[in-house]
Amino acid sequence: MKLAYYPGCVAQESGRELDMATRWVCQALGIELVSFPSFSCCGSGFVDEANEVLNVALNARNLAIAEKAGLDLLTICSTCQGMLTLANLRLTDPKIRARVDAALTPLGIQYRGTTQVKHLLRVLTEDVGIEKIRAKVVRPLAGLKVGAFYGCHLLRPSDEMRWQTGEEPHAFEDLLAAVGADPVYYRGRVMCCGFPIQFVKPETASRIAGRQIDDAKAHGADAMATPCPLCHISLDAYQNQASKAVGHELNMPVFHLPQVVGLALGATPEQLGLPRHLVPTGPALAKIGTRAHA
Amino acid sequence: MFADEKLITVPFDVYRYDPAHGGEPRYQHYELRLAPHTPILTGLLRIRDEMDPTLTLRYSCRSAICGSCAMLVNSKSRLACHTPVGPEVKEHGRIVVDPMRNQPILRDLVVDQQPFWSRYEKMEPHLILDPKHPMPEGQTTAMSPAQVERFKETPRCISCAACFSACPAVEADPAFPGPMALAKLYRFVVDPRDTAQTHRLQKIQTEGLWLCLRCHLCTEACPKDVRPSERIRDLKELAVQAQGGTEAGSRHAIGFLHNIEERGTLNELKLVRQTSGIGGLAASLPQGVRIWRKKPELTQSPPPIEGLDQVKKIYSTLKDDKSEES
Ligand code: SF4
Ligand code: SF4
Ligand code: FES
Repeated sequence: MKLAYYPGCVAQESGRELDMATRWVCQALGIELVSFPSFSCCGSGFVDEANEVLNVALNARNLAIAEKAGLDLLTICSTCQGMLTLANLRLTDPKIRARVDAALTPLGIQYRGTTQVKHLLRVLTEDVGIEKIRAKVVRPLAGLKVGAFYGCHLLRPSDEMRWQTGEEPHAFEDLLAAVGADPVYYRGRVMCCGFPIQFVKPETASRIAGRQIDDAKAHGADAMATPCPLCHISLDAYQNQASKAVGHELNMPVFHLPQVVGLALGATPEQLGLPRHLVPTGPALAKIGTRAHA
Repeated sequence: MFADEKLITVPFDVYRYDPAHGGEPRYQHYELRLAPHTPILTGLLRIRDEMDPTLTLRYSCRSAICGSCAMLVNSKSRLACHTPVGPEVKEHGRIVVDPMRNQPILRDLVVDQQPFWSRYEKMEPHLILDPKHPMPEGQTTAMSPAQVERFKETPRCISCAACFSACPAVEADPAFPGPMALAKLYRFVVDPRDTAQTHRLQKIQTEGLWLCLRCHLCTEACPKDVRPSERIRDLKELAVQAQGGTEAGSRHAIGFLHNIEERGTLNELKLVRQTSGIGGLAASLPQGVRIWRKKPELTQSPPPIEGLDQVKKIYSTLKDDKSEES
């Protein structure tokens, strides 16, 4: 399998461990990643709020780059997934299409609308397949209770994302079970991480993050795992603030999606960038009989 | 009922609480034999009529019109008269029914909707004809189909508060007006007969517009496809275009827009400075240093993308392209 790799901004900057883990897992599963240094940011939902058509046009350019190479596009971020999928959808509106074409055609960019946008979670569960992954597990995450945390834009609006239901998905939990972990079901798994208002009202953002972490904890989770690096910032990098907001220490290790898969397929914690996390993943790793060196 | 439809056993666990008579909240278990397409409300009314006359719930039309029967069905905000038992039993093995969230519980499944309505009233949900800003020349109180099209979803709202119950911003912050109130506000902002757009947008920018998380949980919960999260997005764009970066929220959206124009990719540090100013940057310094110790890339500027000139040209063509004809 060969895909146009769209890492998104965070995985190339502060969330580099996500990029490391993605590359490791894709190599282990025989997925070839083709990089395009010409990809621009998906707009992260913020550009959409300032100028919808501009946001669609920028993403149409990204989609056209993959289309020209004859590849579908792999995302590793719930928000990138949402924004690029929405661009595909909004381009079917003739009024938006005309304004986007007015900007792209003079640049020689033509997008026919054929690029499929696939998040890594979908590629793993649908294209590679749960069974193939199960067969490759060398270090089952036995005994580790993991709360999946989806990230809004991978799921909703569900009639536009056209994947699982917007409130009761199960792909991530199925994958966790396949690598030997015990998936934990809790309400917070489909809720918001608070990230979008981190710079508008930090205390509210942290209260929201803290609530979801607390919920996972109350349902017995030893760790959480997310397919979205923005959620990871909220849940891991800002977890100290979330702890303050809820009034007690949360101490919840939070993995990126490919890190849990990578661990089960035999990667070392260092190869997956686990020492880069703010909340130490050591206690979770100890449960599966491994440890990080940092 | 279809005569040959097989009946299934439907286990209900219903939230019971009666503060007037003391006692702790609890779940009461009931079982009924029902056809899978039976609405949950019908099940609850059978429980009340045949098994337990003390069960208290609010309903009226039984046809998804009046908006009074919203409650939590297996933790999702739903109209009980509009949600069949079959799929819920299939997915969860039982039906757990709770009162809606984000509103005080009065008794059993009945909540006090005051928080929902008081936020709605703050939106001044009526046409304002400001004598200082008369309607544009030629505009009459009759609207063209194109004008009505701009807010075709909003009048479908039946004020059931399912969106309000599902909203994490409402849950976390009393300053947030909630999805339905904002969707209604949007409707007045784009109504050509209303002449208080400037006042409405200024007011809402400081009163919670930018606290919406765009999580789309409201749109998922809404039984009438009002799509509040999308109307809130529209409101934000209108506010940014009409009034620029007056608030942290609009500054962040505009900052993000400019940020990408420069290199095609996000410069995390610079964005924080644009949104929060130097003061805000200083305030977030300790947190930044904590993160930077583990993730030193935070302070490095990403290299510009290839083909940045294309991105810049797209910007220059569309930067001032207004979202909607007004
Ligand atoms: S999109 Fe906004 S209004 Fe809707 S549920 Fe989420 S936070 Fe609330
Ligand atoms: S917007 Fe939808 S969910 Fe919200 S009150 Fe109106 S009909 Fe109910
Ligand atoms: S009873 Fe009227 S909407 Fe359900």
